[in-house]
Amino acid sequence: MMNNAALTDLIIKMADDELIQGHRNSEWTGLGPVMEEDIAFSSMAQDKIGHAWALYRMLHEDLGGADPDSFAFLRPEKDFKSSHLVEMPNGEYDFSLMRHFLFDQAETIRYESLQDSSFEPLRLLSNKVKGELKYHTLHANAWIMQLSRAGEESYSRMQQALNDTIALAAGLFEPSPVYEDALIAEKVYPGETALYHRWLDRIYPVLVKASLNLPEAGAIVPVYGGRQGIHTPYLQPLLKEMSEVFNLDTEARW
Amino acid sequence: MSNDSLDPRVNRLKLGDAGEVVKVEEGENWNIYEVFHQEKRGAHHEHVGCVHAPDPQLALVFAKEQFARRKRCVNLWVVKSADILAFDVEDEDMFANNLEKTYRDASGFKVMEKINKFKQSK
Amino acid sequence: MYGGGYIFDEPNRKQLREEEQHDEPEKLAAFEERIAKGEKIEPGDWMPVEYRRQLIRLIEQHAHSEIIGALPEGTWITRAPGFKRKLALIAKVQDEIGHGQLLYNAAETLGKSREAMINDLLSGKSKYSNVFNYPAETWADVAVIGFLIDAAAIVNQVANAKGSYGPYCRALERICYEESFHLKQGHDAFIELATGTPAQKDMLQDALNRWWQPIMHFFGPPDKASSHSEKLMQWKVKMASNDEMRNQFLESYVPKIWELGLTLPDPALRKNPESGRWEYTDPDWDEFFRVINGGGPCNTERLQVRKWAEEQGRWVRKALMRPTEKRAFPVA
Repeated sequence: MMNNAALTDLIIKMADDELIQGHRNSEWTGLGPVMEEDIAFSSMAQDKIGHAWALYRMLHEDLGGADPDSFAFLRPEKDFKSSHLVEMPNGEYDFSLMRHFLFDQAETIRYESLQDSSFEPLRLLSNKVKGELKYHTLHANAWIMQLSRAGEESYSRMQQALNDTIALAAGLFEPSPVYEDALIAEKVYPGETALYHRWLDRIYPVLVKASLNLPEAGAIVPVYGGRQGIHTPYLQPLLKEMSEVFNLDTEARW
Repeated sequence: MSNDSLDPRVNRLKLGDAGEVVKVEEGENWNIYEVFHQEKRGAHHEHVGCVHAPDPQLALVFAKEQFARRKRCVNLWVVKSADILAFDVEDEDMFANNLEKTYRDASGFKVMEKINKFKQSK
Repeated sequence: MYGGGYIFDEPNRKQLREEEQHDEPEKLAAFEERIAKGEKIEPGDWMPVEYRRQLIRLIEQHAHSEIIGALPEGTWITRAPGFKRKLALIAKVQDEIGHGQLLYNAAETLGKSREAMINDLLSGKSKYSNVFNYPAETWADVAVIGFLIDAAAIVNQVANAKGSYGPYCRALERICYEESFHLKQGHDAFIELATGTPAQKDMLQDALNRWWQPIMHFFGPPDKASSHSEKLMQWKVKMASNDEMRNQFLESYVPKIWELGLTLPDPALRKNPESGRWEYTDPDWDEFFRVINGGGPCNTERLQVRKWAEEQGRWVRKALMRPTEKRAFPVA
């Protein structure tokens, strides 16, 4: 018998990250730096929200959770398990792009590890999202590379964005004090610490090629708390706005 | 800070004054790349439009979402519009087929006629 | 989304006759014969100066309408209720930007750069469809825009897709295909509210009442009041008259509104059984011209937001500019 509480915890944090990150990125739709990029970034925002939806459906169908719309749109802030990285406001495009790069590389590592998961629904989903994630990281790598090599202002913006996001992004890999061991033992996934190191190995060569300085691994102090329901001041207003219409009548169909 | 809009997204932006003059520089939207789309393996790549991009790599990245986010597609090509050589449209008459050149067409060869004639002659 | 049925005049518009005199008569005759035969005109073809100017104006205004049209609906992206509506709305607004991209490219084949067109939008020299100068106040506005404004746009775009300029027709073909998704998702959201709780239905009725006049304005002033479209019709730049398109829209969509038990704020609206044509109270055309000239509730905000977006993206675009590279307009 699988540990359902542990699985639920893992899936909620993955789904919440994807929903909030997708929501943030969708704030750029219609306002991007150039039309072509606007379209590409919007597609990837849709993909993220789509992944969140699939994960909430998994909770609903396989683990007895609430239906996805009510679960995502009506839950109180403290029950969200999103990381602080995804909650941050968009800032300028440098911040949004760097966050997109770090987040999508992390997501890719996570779904890759789920290809061997003992929990079949996660295994199936990881196969489904593979192609999308390949495009996301191709897109992110291309931008990081090009903007870091495009003159002083652009380079220093990218370096600053990396400095501002790296500790937050490391917080994506906040281990669960309760469920981590069970999930590893049951071969659901290899655990946050293993993913964190794989992620560092994956982003390092890209950053080196872009001549961006990644702090020593030991010097990065990950920003934790999101997985425990402790959030930035930015999440509550986001959730309030997101569910504004839904809350007019939670019983109605929209 | 509020811009007094009904749009919460807009209220978060630091908008300029209504009279602010904003001008985009020529070339700021980069160069133009033509996009060719392959619907399935074995099919030709067909021209579907173009994207503005700073280089071929980003042109491909952009073309993928602008031209293949709905339609079936297995591959794309991009090429700078400036690198395409084409005939002048007024030279269209050059392409008119000369009716005399039936030796190039299957219809120019009356095989069955000859066979029938041969059979009848026996 | 939106052709915005009506081509706005530029303030310094020259008379058609003067312009025409610069064109060589034999070339003009051959050009017009071509169009009469139903042939398409392509970018490198000879074309009258006025034809080129009018097409740039038409396609450019259409493109601006797409990217400005993304704003009122974009308002609701962060608030759309539930996953399906949220995703569909992002995808729809994304399509509007995509349509803008296709249309700017089509206009560029005529020799005006995207940058120049964006500048004319930002400075107010070039117009966009008037409907986007109204606010989307509630979620029901999204349903009304998605269903009825897109429907109106389709009437206009299907007509224009049969026009004479190849690149514009090709762009419209793709656009119409995507619009069918917009219309369907809009209709779906519309029906959901119309058949929902009393509060939902009130919300929709209120939105419908507010949008009816802008929708009636959408196709432009009555034929009797708009001159100089004869040549544009002959050149297949303009494909149907304002009144014709308005009638076609009413014919297709008024019954779809009435069948849901909703009302429209015009007691005179009815189909004349003898003529088969729709009759209605003339909307306030003074208001129409007031809004075109900057007096609408959202004109200022729309342009401010567009300027913000251009300013915000400038460092990204500038960082990757290659000023020495050989450039050309799109080939087709």
